[in-house]
Amino acid sequence: MYRYTLLRVKDVDSAEEIVQNTFMAAIQAQSNFAGLSTEKSWLFGILKHKIMDHFRGQKRLMSFNLSDNDDSTEPDYDTSGHWRIFPKDWGLDPEKAAENNELARHLQGCLDGLPEKFRQIFIMKEVDGLDSTQICNEFDIKPTNLWVILHRARNQLKQCLEAHWLSKQEDKKTKS
Amino acid sequence: MKMIGALLKQLKISCEDTSPLISESMDHRISLGKKLRIKIHLAICGACQCYKTQLDIIKTLARKLGAEDSDLKNEVSLRPELKYKIKHSLKTNS
Repeated sequence: MYRYTLLRVKDVDSAEEIVQNTFMAAIQAQSNFAGLSTEKSWLFGILKHKIMDHFRGQKRLMSFNLSDNDDSTEPDYDTSGHWRIFPKDWGLDPEKAAENNELARHLQGCLDGLPEKFRQIFIMKEVDGLDSTQICNEFDIKPTNLWVILHRARNQLKQCLEAHWLSKQEDKKTKS
Repeated sequence: MKMIGALLKQLKISCEDTSPLISESMDHRISLGKKLRIKIHLAICGACQCYKTQLDIIKTLARKLGAEDSDLKNEVSLRPELKYKIKHSLKTNS
């Protein structure tokens, strides 16, 4: 539960507090546990609500502004609209990528480097698979803003993975 | 080559036009016109084919990270003091 929370909230203190509050809430609501699911899924259900409450609390502290979260890492194109730096072939089949733990760990590190709002929105959409409408309502943004944010987040993640993971792979190949 | 680039840009099917559409197509059902623009562009552009594969890989991995039983970051665990504190609170409150 702690690992699950830390991936989503990034901050160690907040993750600890959320896990602790989840157990406290579970104890208070234990009479509501009908046994229709496993205790684990019931606890994770409470945990997910606590994580969402945490995001909502943060949203109140930070007003959303798309330009504030733009790290200007929009990929560069030349005047004809071609890539200035061509995307590289990672040599992986997307369907088998889930088996690559090293790349997944790098992705986790790259996620932590995203601007906070981009990170939260990307996690809700791609890590937790939440519905776009729900995310737009949570952040009070239009679907077009959501697509722009996700596009920029993906580009930043792609660039981060090329800089940290792919360059290591290429070094290994050169040495061997 | 430059002429082809200019033509693609004019037709709004350059890499710059297509890469946001590739990303957008992962988020919702896009119009037939947009689908067609992606298809035409991908048929002639190896760089954007790589870009699409990269985004697909990121999508697959993100789902893996999100799993409740993800085996990644196994080295991370709750501080022992906090574990004790939670256990103690559970005992006194139950």
